[in-house]
Amino acid sequence: MVLFAQDITVTGKVTDEKDGTPLPGVTVKQENAAKAVSTDAEGRYSIQVPNGAKLVFRLVGMAPKTVTVTSTTLNVFLSADTRDLTDVVVVGYGTQKKSVVTGSISSVKAKDLESMPINRVEQALQGRTSGLTIASGNGQPGSSSTVRVRGYTSFASGGNNDPLWVVDGVIVDNGGIGYLNQADIESIEVLKDAASQAIYGARAANGVIIITTKKGKVGSINVNYNAFYGTSAPAKRLNLLNATQYATIRNESAANSGLPQPYANPAALGEGTNWQDQVFNDDARRQTHEFSISGGSEKFTIYSSFGYIDQDGIVASPISKWNRANVRINSTYKPAKWVTIGENLGYSHAVNSSLGNTNSEFGGPLSSAINLDPITPVVETNPNLINKSPYTIANTLRNADGFPYGISPIVGQEMTNPVAYMQTRLGNYSWDHNIVGNVFAEIEPITNLKFRSTLGTKVAFYGGDSFTPLFYLNSSSKNDKKSFYREINTVLNYNWENTLSYAKNFGKHHAFIILGQGYYMDNNTRSLNTTYQNIIANNFYEANLNYDPGTANKLVGGSDGTLHVVNSLFTRVTYDYDEKYLFTGIMRRDGSSRFGTNNRFGYFPSFSLGWVPSKEGFWKENNVVNFLKIRGGYGVTGNDALGDFRYVSLVSSGRNYTFGTTDQSVIGWSPAALSNPDLKWEETRQTNIGFDATLFTNFTLSAEYYKKKTVGVLQTPDIPLYVGAAGGPTQNVGDMENTGFEFELGYRKKIGELNLGINGNISFLKNKVTRLLPGKAFIEDNAQSFQTMGNFTRTGLDRSFNEYYGYDMLGIFQTQAEIDSYVGPGGTKLQPNAKPGDIKYANLNGDEAINSSDRTFLGSPIPKYTYGLTINLAYKNWDLVAFGNGVGGNQIFQGLRRLDVTYANWQTKILDRWTPGNPSTTMPRIVESDPNGNYIKFSKLYLEKGDYFRLKTLQVGYTLPQRISNKVGAQKVRVYLMSENLWTITDYTGYDPEIGGTVLGVDRGVYPQARSFMVGLNVGF
Amino acid sequence: MKKSILYIAAIAASTQLFTSCKKQLDVNPRERILETSYYKTPSEALTSLISVYDILGNQSSGYLTKVNILSAGSDDHFAGGDSPSDIGDLQTINNYTLTSTSGAASHLWSKGFTGVYRANVFLQKVANAGLDDATKTRYIAEVKALRAIYYFDLVKLFKNIPLLTEVVEPNAMYDVVQAPADQVYALVIKDLTEAIPNLPPTVPAASQGGRLTQGAAHAVLGKVYMWQQKWAEAAAEFALVNGPTPGASQYGYKLLANYADLWNVKNKFNSESILELVYNTTSDMGWGTVGSREGNVMSILVGPRNYVPVNAALAPDYISGWSFLPFTKDFFDLIHFDPRNKATVANLDSLEKAGIVTYKHAYANTGYFIEKYAGRVSTKAGSGQLELNFGQDMYEIRLADTYLLEAESLLKSGAAVGAGTKAYTMFNAVRARVGLNPLPVTMDNIMRERRLELAAEGHRWFDLVRWGLAPTVLAGKGFKAGRNEIFPIPERELANSKIVQSKEWGGTK
Repeated sequence: MVLFAQDITVTGKVTDEKDGTPLPGVTVKQENAAKAVSTDAEGRYSIQVPNGAKLVFRLVGMAPKTVTVTSTTLNVFLSADTRDLTDVVVVGYGTQKKSVVTGSISSVKAKDLESMPINRVEQALQGRTSGLTIASGNGQPGSSSTVRVRGYTSFASGGNNDPLWVVDGVIVDNGGIGYLNQADIESIEVLKDAASQAIYGARAANGVIIITTKKGKVGSINVNYNAFYGTSAPAKRLNLLNATQYATIRNESAANSGLPQPYANPAALGEGTNWQDQVFNDDARRQTHEFSISGGSEKFTIYSSFGYIDQDGIVASPISKWNRANVRINSTYKPAKWVTIGENLGYSHAVNSSLGNTNSEFGGPLSSAINLDPITPVVETNPNLINKSPYTIANTLRNADGFPYGISPIVGQEMTNPVAYMQTRLGNYSWDHNIVGNVFAEIEPITNLKFRSTLGTKVAFYGGDSFTPLFYLNSSSKNDKKSFYREINTVLNYNWENTLSYAKNFGKHHAFIILGQGYYMDNNTRSLNTTYQNIIANNFYEANLNYDPGTANKLVGGSDGTLHVVNSLFTRVTYDYDEKYLFTGIMRRDGSSRFGTNNRFGYFPSFSLGWVPSKEGFWKENNVVNFLKIRGGYGVTGNDALGDFRYVSLVSSGRNYTFGTTDQSVIGWSPAALSNPDLKWEETRQTNIGFDATLFTNFTLSAEYYKKKTVGVLQTPDIPLYVGAAGGPTQNVGDMENTGFEFELGYRKKIGELNLGINGNISFLKNKVTRLLPGKAFIEDNAQSFQTMGNFTRTGLDRSFNEYYGYDMLGIFQTQAEIDSYVGPGGTKLQPNAKPGDIKYANLNGDEAINSSDRTFLGSPIPKYTYGLTINLAYKNWDLVAFGNGVGGNQIFQGLRRLDVTYANWQTKILDRWTPGNPSTTMPRIVESDPNGNYIKFSKLYLEKGDYFRLKTLQVGYTLPQRISNKVGAQKVRVYLMSENLWTITDYTGYDPEIGGTVLGVDRGVYPQARSFMVGLNVGF
Repeated sequence: MKKSILYIAAIAASTQLFTSCKKQLDVNPRERILETSYYKTPSEALTSLISVYDILGNQSSGYLTKVNILSAGSDDHFAGGDSPSDIGDLQTINNYTLTSTSGAASHLWSKGFTGVYRANVFLQKVANAGLDDATKTRYIAEVKALRAIYYFDLVKLFKNIPLLTEVVEPNAMYDVVQAPADQVYALVIKDLTEAIPNLPPTVPAASQGGRLTQGAAHAVLGKVYMWQQKWAEAAAEFALVNGPTPGASQYGYKLLANYADLWNVKNKFNSESILELVYNTTSDMGWGTVGSREGNVMSILVGPRNYVPVNAALAPDYISGWSFLPFTKDFFDLIHFDPRNKATVANLDSLEKAGIVTYKHAYANTGYFIEKYAGRVSTKAGSGQLELNFGQDMYEIRLADTYLLEAESLLKSGAAVGAGTKAYTMFNAVRARVGLNPLPVTMDNIMRERRLELAAEGHRWFDLVRWGLAPTVLAGKGFKAGRNEIFPIPERELANSKIVQSKEWGGTK
């Protein structure tokens, strides 16, 4: 060995930074030279290098370190790899190391979800990864959320935009995903681009969300218990008028209409009734218990868990609550080295009572509380009134003291006394049992050749019981026949998949191929319901089906689901060279029972490439960019939610009439809508380019750009009415585009005893409809409407899905002269019925009238960007988690006040209305029957900015010192305080800016999400 | 050796991956029946016949019906409702501000052509259904009569319509052209004339009430002749329906003794009913199935809004309704002291003034509501959505109508109309039924009698138009001569097709 004069011998010890243990097997190498040694069992090494050279220390699972040689002794600490490059990502029918993944896949891991106050899996995803827009439908416990992965792909009437949910390989329908116990989740992967989604072919266009439940690990047994208990309350109340204010406004409204004043002395009415206080519960309780046991040996692993959640709602608690019990058992058994058999089985049973109308202007406790006049008392005790109509009408409800619940003489229709309304629904509940699971067998006859067969199923039973008592709530809401209703539904779906996979590594080449076949059957549902009328029971708890009210009083109904069958073949090839050059290619062929006879099978290919420049020879090791992977891909996926049998000519019944005095319908049949045998799936083609990087050792950054083009969205053209046929043939003629940017940034740092982790993500989305039926500039499928206002959204060509569409409010007429001078080109007064204080609308088409042709697009309910932020802090035995999410760039429609209930209550916003003394430019005058249509015409008067940031979870925990927890035999005991939805920053004046649905952001009195405070306990054995 | 076995086993296992049966994707359509396999049995032919009848009483999902559209346009009613925009399509009829995008015009057009289509499908398919000759002949006669009724309404309402006697092939949809009104009338007359001999003179009311009879077809034919101003032919048809003297009809028709009994729901298919629109209480119509089930929505539409029976003993048992089609004060003043007042007008105004009831004074309120078919507690459905399942039948044609038409056609044809003549007898039989003294047969008397006798039954607008009086009588509502005598052809029919708008509405037809 030649020893240069400058060479020195450097010796030292390499240890683990966390606990000082020596690290054997660490590669010590001179940078840019071939010389390398390894540390011995005590972590010691010795190497000869020039003085001032750089030494690189590497060990799998640890972050590499580069140190300049300055002396002959060099001791080094290595810490756990913050880059998580050894993390494994589920890619559908397999896993891949994260460092070689070429598709766009976001992950949420179990540790992000531990002890979070999550009830449903959609909440687990909200704000934690980029590319998802999630909005809870409403705040009632147990309610579902709307989940959109990278925008919308279908604007067809009744079109499907929900992602595909896969739990342990079993496809679960979007409506049934609420069964899953979130504590069982090991990881959630969201497949966002077609390059990764194509493996699910014809059903993947809206994104695929793969959930893997926890499995037992080889090693010791783990027992865990987590529980928390707390209270919920509404975070916000609307500012509604009190009785005096209400009467004052009513008087002014009457005066402006030339009618006599209804209230002689508004001040004498005082505060009146605060209906919100009657429906809101400021102390609704909730609790969650999660218990799991897992363990395993070389032959056998098992994970078993039990969970229970019980949550009362904050609105009308007696009729709004939810609880769910879960049991899970996942096990694997290896009778021989080359055989594995196993199963994953989850069972859940939920019971809930619901308000019924959780976001509707047509009644229900919230809508009633908002619209009822504050003059009506909750309970009428005035002796002069309780003996008069309407309290003398049969079946008026009374409280425990015998006094009748107040009935408003001025606000009617579906707006009823909410306290009385609650009495009519006491006891009614819905229930479900869900069993979702699979059994599998995997054999490995030759090393790396695996054959796996999986049989998966979802069996569900669900239904409800409800009793309708005699009641009179007002002249429109009454019932004079007691009845009991029971509904039972069954679902049996199953699938069978077989895969053959082979992995071959030769030298630096790593190749993997999987061939698969699948058969899926779902929508196999049956329903039965029965109603018994005129029974003797007086309330829910007395009602049952054992009392026979006679055949004439028994009604039945039922329905069958139409089977949906999918038959698939697929293959995926993954190849990488030295984890530097990466390639994945997928091809899937799907046949669906919904596709037309001429288009029974679809092919869905994709490919994606990756390059890891930071592994290249030319890449200098540096501390700025530690790791960089550039990736891109293109693929084709489909959406097969086409409705059934549209490809063949059918005859339909229901063209009924009546003959004679039988009082029964006779059934008529005639041809259904015209058919289209060429009908096929809506196809989405997506390009995705991005990069993943680790910067400055502690930062992880991921960024991507995507462009999704959907072609063949189902549209049914209008056929001329004179043809007389029931409808036109559905065709694949619409196109839509979604483009966007996504960024994810993470930071991890250990500063002394303080561990800090920050993760943030932000996604930008632009959605655009690019093709409709020839000659059409817009469609109103899936449009939202509000009473007599009609549709207020519209999907326009070159615009996004269902934007707000209405009149352009220019301002408020301040003087009669302004009204008289507002004329069309021909000199006709455009708003002849207007008076000072009414809204001035733009004459957009330049004609002689302001009417429905003068409307334009006013904004979009789809957020332009969504973001999430998580902060993790740990210091000694203390830890803190703060998680928040938000959206921006969207508008919310606030439709809380009934248009056809003239005397409904108002929010205090109305106090700022235009009067001669208050020349408002934004709030019109108050007048009955609205001759100018200030409220009937949809304008920006109804829209508010929907931007918000919500601190969803804030948790502070303390882990008891080991010596104390060991006393109770536990390995870890942690107590924590937690708050959910602590704080929301928003300008939106309604209850809650987060509103899901077919069209987001439509507030008709949405049941808000609760703010909760909880105390919890983790115990690990 | 062992390894090759394993290789072979692996390949064998993998071959089963490639099985894929196209057949597996065929799902049992169950209740969905292929058109190619239908119309093969007598019971299927009957269901097809029923689908043609379905259009007779048809209501739109927006609560529009022929009767309420025409009533809203007449001088007897305002559209009403809760506000100027409640059921906007009725409001624009009421104010004569409708345009070619009117939902009311669309409904009337679409209803008629759906009926024609189903009739044409039936006539095309019935040959192979295995019916015996007698049944086949009768069914064909019923369908032709129904097609004639639908075309008669279409040509009265729109004048310039396509004339389709066969199902239109999809590739010829946009080549359809309009026919001159004369051709439509010719087909109507031909269909009725061919049908009449094969229709039964009477049908058993309990099982077949509502089906076409010879008398009904004669009555329709008579009305067709009235519109063509063929007075003698019209009078002859009505004579066949009415008989030589009141109560002597060959079909057994007789005026009911008690006028109010006409609307008793227990009195369906009575002796005065010639063509009845049948509804039932058991079809479970819900808010999502309005118009596609068999409840009569007129009952809830015309009821007083927010009705409260303050004095339970004295208050009538109306169901709180939606306050549409209130009678005008003008009409009420006419009928106020006529014996038919109580059975025609629900006088909420006087009930309220007496403190017996309260109700909301909704839009265009006059206090006078339609009594004839208003929903009542005693007639509501046993189950299902209360508002939507009334089983009240409506009269398309009843005997009093044909009596008055016979008198009118005799008068117009120049026949003698003095005391003792047929015209005088028939005209005054209608008056005598309600205890009124006889009057001479003059156009004024006939017009007034029709207005009083047939109020709220959908006749008034058609009568005013055919008498040429609509421009003057309805001027106050906005009726424009040379325009509103017909409805505009729906705008969407004109796109990409050969259909042209009528010249009354700015087109060239």
